[in-house]
Amino acid sequence: MSDVSTILAAGPGTQSRRRRRRVSPLTPVTYLTALVLVGVTVVPLLFVFVDGFKSNAQINSSATALPHPWVTGNYAQILTSAAFWQPLENSAVIAAIATVLVVVLGAMAAFALSRYAFRGREGLFLLFAVGLLFPINAAALPLYLMLDKIGLLDSPLGVALPEAAFGLPITIVILRPFMREIPGELEDAAVVDGATRIGFFLRILLPLSRPALVTVAVLAFVQSWNQYLIPLLVFTSQGRFTLPLAVANFQTQYAQNTASILAFTALSMLPALGCFIFAQRHLVGGFTGAVKG
Amino acid sequence: MRSLRKPAVVAVAATAALALAACGSSGGGSTNSATGKVTLTWWTNATAGQLKTVWQQAATAFHATHPNVTIQVEPLQNEAFTTKVPPALASSNPPDIYQQWGGGQEATQIPSGKVADLSKLSSGWIAEVGSAAQAWQVNGKQYGVPYDLHTVGFWYRKDLFARAGITTPPATLAQLMTDDTKLKAAHIVPIAVGSKDKWPDAFWWEYFALRECPTATLKAAMKGVNLSASCFVQAGKQLTAFMATKPFQPGFLGTPSQVGAGSSAGMVANGKAAMELQGDWDPGVMAPLTSDKNLNSELGWFPFPAIAGGAGSPTTTLGGGDGFSCTTPAAEPACAQFLQYIDSTPVQKKVVAANVGLPANPAAAPALSLPALKQVLTYNHAAPYVQTYFDIAFPTSVGQALDAAIATYFAGQGTPQSIITTVSQAKNQ
Amino acid sequence: MAVAGDKDLDVPRAELVPAPRAAAPSRRARPRLRRRTELVVLLAPALALFVGFVLLPIVLAAWDGMHKWTGFGSLGPFAGLYNYRLVLSDPVFRESFVHNVIIVIASIVIQLPLGLGMALLLNRRIRGRAFLRTLAFAPFVLPYATTAVMWLLLLQPGGFLDQVMKAAGLGGLIQLWLANLHLVLYTMIVVLTWQFFGFAMILMLAGLQGIPAELREAAALDGASGWQATWRITLPLLGPTIRIWLFLSVVGSLQVFDQVWIMTGGGPANASSTMVTYLVQHGFQSYEFGYGSAVAVIIFLICFIFALLYQRFVLRRDTRGALTRAVG
Repeated sequence: MSDVSTILAAGPGTQSRRRRRRVSPLTPVTYLTALVLVGVTVVPLLFVFVDGFKSNAQINSSATALPHPWVTGNYAQILTSAAFWQPLENSAVIAAIATVLVVVLGAMAAFALSRYAFRGREGLFLLFAVGLLFPINAAALPLYLMLDKIGLLDSPLGVALPEAAFGLPITIVILRPFMREIPGELEDAAVVDGATRIGFFLRILLPLSRPALVTVAVLAFVQSWNQYLIPLLVFTSQGRFTLPLAVANFQTQYAQNTASILAFTALSMLPALGCFIFAQRHLVGGFTGAVKG
Repeated sequence: MRSLRKPAVVAVAATAALALAACGSSGGGSTNSATGKVTLTWWTNATAGQLKTVWQQAATAFHATHPNVTIQVEPLQNEAFTTKVPPALASSNPPDIYQQWGGGQEATQIPSGKVADLSKLSSGWIAEVGSAAQAWQVNGKQYGVPYDLHTVGFWYRKDLFARAGITTPPATLAQLMTDDTKLKAAHIVPIAVGSKDKWPDAFWWEYFALRECPTATLKAAMKGVNLSASCFVQAGKQLTAFMATKPFQPGFLGTPSQVGAGSSAGMVANGKAAMELQGDWDPGVMAPLTSDKNLNSELGWFPFPAIAGGAGSPTTTLGGGDGFSCTTPAAEPACAQFLQYIDSTPVQKKVVAANVGLPANPAAAPALSLPALKQVLTYNHAAPYVQTYFDIAFPTSVGQALDAAIATYFAGQGTPQSIITTVSQAKNQ
Repeated sequence: MAVAGDKDLDVPRAELVPAPRAAAPSRRARPRLRRRTELVVLLAPALALFVGFVLLPIVLAAWDGMHKWTGFGSLGPFAGLYNYRLVLSDPVFRESFVHNVIIVIASIVIQLPLGLGMALLLNRRIRGRAFLRTLAFAPFVLPYATTAVMWLLLLQPGGFLDQVMKAAGLGGLIQLWLANLHLVLYTMIVVLTWQFFGFAMILMLAGLQGIPAELREAAALDGASGWQATWRITLPLLGPTIRIWLFLSVVGSLQVFDQVWIMTGGGPANASSTMVTYLVQHGFQSYEFGYGSAVAVIIFLICFIFALLYQRFVLRRDTRGALTRAVG
């Protein structure tokens, strides 16, 4: 997307001029850097995935060699076990609730903060921004006691609600400048056509803000998926554990079975990676808007 | 209580209540008063190995004889107990049955108001357990019930000793140091220690203290929660001298004690180290960490050696036990009945068979199969005094501070004196 | 090019008439009431959630921190700033704070050049660019706990890393990555860098895309070399992006917990403890909830003070209007 716009912006003749330019000396450096990047990022991940196909004896003898033979038992066992799917489902449900809450409430608030003028607007925005500074883990103690009082312990909502609340600051901080960029003329036109402000919000502003919305949704989803301490404290029944808890638990419970742990870890990475690849097209666009604001 | 908070909490509750509709919360014992059916959640530290099976069987068997009671076993990693139990006891929904180690630790939990006083409900059968039950009493009231007892001593590999030319286990510290030299000459790691978890370090310091301090001093120190007697500093100095001989495995600061083949237990189980100073649960912990079927025949036990010139008794033993408590929301008498069932001879025999320690109920003692454990039992009975691990005997915050100070000292960053100072600071906080 | 801050107070034209304070023509009353209702509907849910689950815990923690409280029963005796003073005088907390500062410095010194350099390089038209960007960002989306378990296995003595080093002939450099008191913090920094550098790179890339290529074209026409163009034009224009990343990175570094907790528990002997691992150890495990609450509040205050200073001295240039008008 950006390539095309850059080319167009540069004017008619530039395209051919660019093509004839000689290869810059930076190009091999670029490819080398890319290679190192791939290596550093991928190799640890590969290790986890590939060694899940080994038996423990194979791992003990050599962690770097390829499996010989490839043992599918570890992955098979985990894929057929509720000990994997249940936490996966729990994580997904909680992350979905938290994400929906954060995006809906955050978009509404960002809309109000970006396109209405009222006394205390900037102060309110600052209030939300201040929330960025308080780590959710530092709030674990009072949160735990509060959740207990309102009866949300050992409940998915007991995790999803705080996650959504702590996700509001970054959401609003990203969405507000994005929404502000949308030209006032569009709004005026909508009003002239008889739409209400809310109608404008729902039918024009939100669709236009899609890159930013996807960005904040991905961030919220990742943050929620990531949570370890809060679920650890809130959940007492193993059946409600989320995936990071399950991974850490699995690691201590089956510690002698390194191959199994690797398989479990590998499988638990797939959902996060999958969602990310799915949404990544919009990510850079979303950040661009936020950065400009 | 916290009247300042009420309006705020109500406001939050109002917000949350709207969304609360769909999801309910489970957790602690839910009693359906109409049918009288009861579910008790049960936190144990048996996440692997035979004991895990034993507990599951016990829960199932109890349900068979008490159809209205369902026990839900929730294994929790040993090291997670310290993080999860305190907030659970502060909440309104603690687990119905949970594992705790008696002594000062239990005493610290009593003020939560959540630990049930089982004196009446256990009076009929607690005598079975004998004097061991006292460690779970606070002010004469029975707040918990032990299910096994422990003694700390050296677990060693007979095959590795033989390889190094050691014919009999050491009886004095000097002999231990000689044996370490022999083992190193045979390229065997003499002693494994799980320093990452901190409490294994404490075993070392505490045993040196037991050998340096007379029994009366020890008792006074526990009662007064202070380690100001000079013998404690002396113990630290002796330990420093011992550690200067580098008896432990490389990287011991990062080695966990029970988790994984790379733990100190795993090292001994797989023949990578010759001995470990640990409780008598070690065989049960080692078994799942290795594929060696002959492990039990290779394992031997010997008590902590005597230290020449030490003012303490050479046969004082460091020990403790595991037990369970019921929390006040738990349905009674179901919970107490289950604890009685755990201490009954048939279940105790199974616990013993899992090689996790000595039975709380002496009637199950004959079921000890591992010769080494029989040896431990005999030694335990003959010991003039059994000192509970300091971090359990002390109130929890002091005990934790002590473990942390000893661990720091093991890492080369503290002094024998700093251990003492930390305890008095923690006590006064 | 849009300069940050231009449109700060641009409001839709329909709103240009400020809300009148004196008695207004009654024609305006109903739209104003409607507008007020809209505002409430839009803001109330987010505000309620935020106040309830973010602000309230901070306030409660501050209050709890002023009591000697085990966590059970009543709050215990009021102790004023006793707990707070105790926290600040505990050498282990100070050490943890220092560790956090080291992590902050390391993340700036390592991730900024790395992220910037990679972004500059990968902004060029090479094959597989989109794939590379995805790849670099991948570690960031992995749950911290999963990353921790993965690296824990990789860094075992005699494990994957050690074997790779041996195979590469670097066997002599093998250390006890997680057990060595002097190394463990830096091992954690490597793990954290692995997890987060992709975020730096993506943010820089986004910033780069906001810089029109004409500027570089113009510079090239004027005879500037690639380096000069980068140094004189691109980097300064990336200023706002860098400053935002810096803020997020510092705050994030002050809050590090999951990876450290799972890999080392803060040890050995507190060599890798951070402020939040300290909080969990002393807040939850020791039955000293009052003390733990004080720790939480102090962590918050440290972040808050940093944010204020940063805002006043660094970000002021970028965001004329919005924040400074409210604070300044």
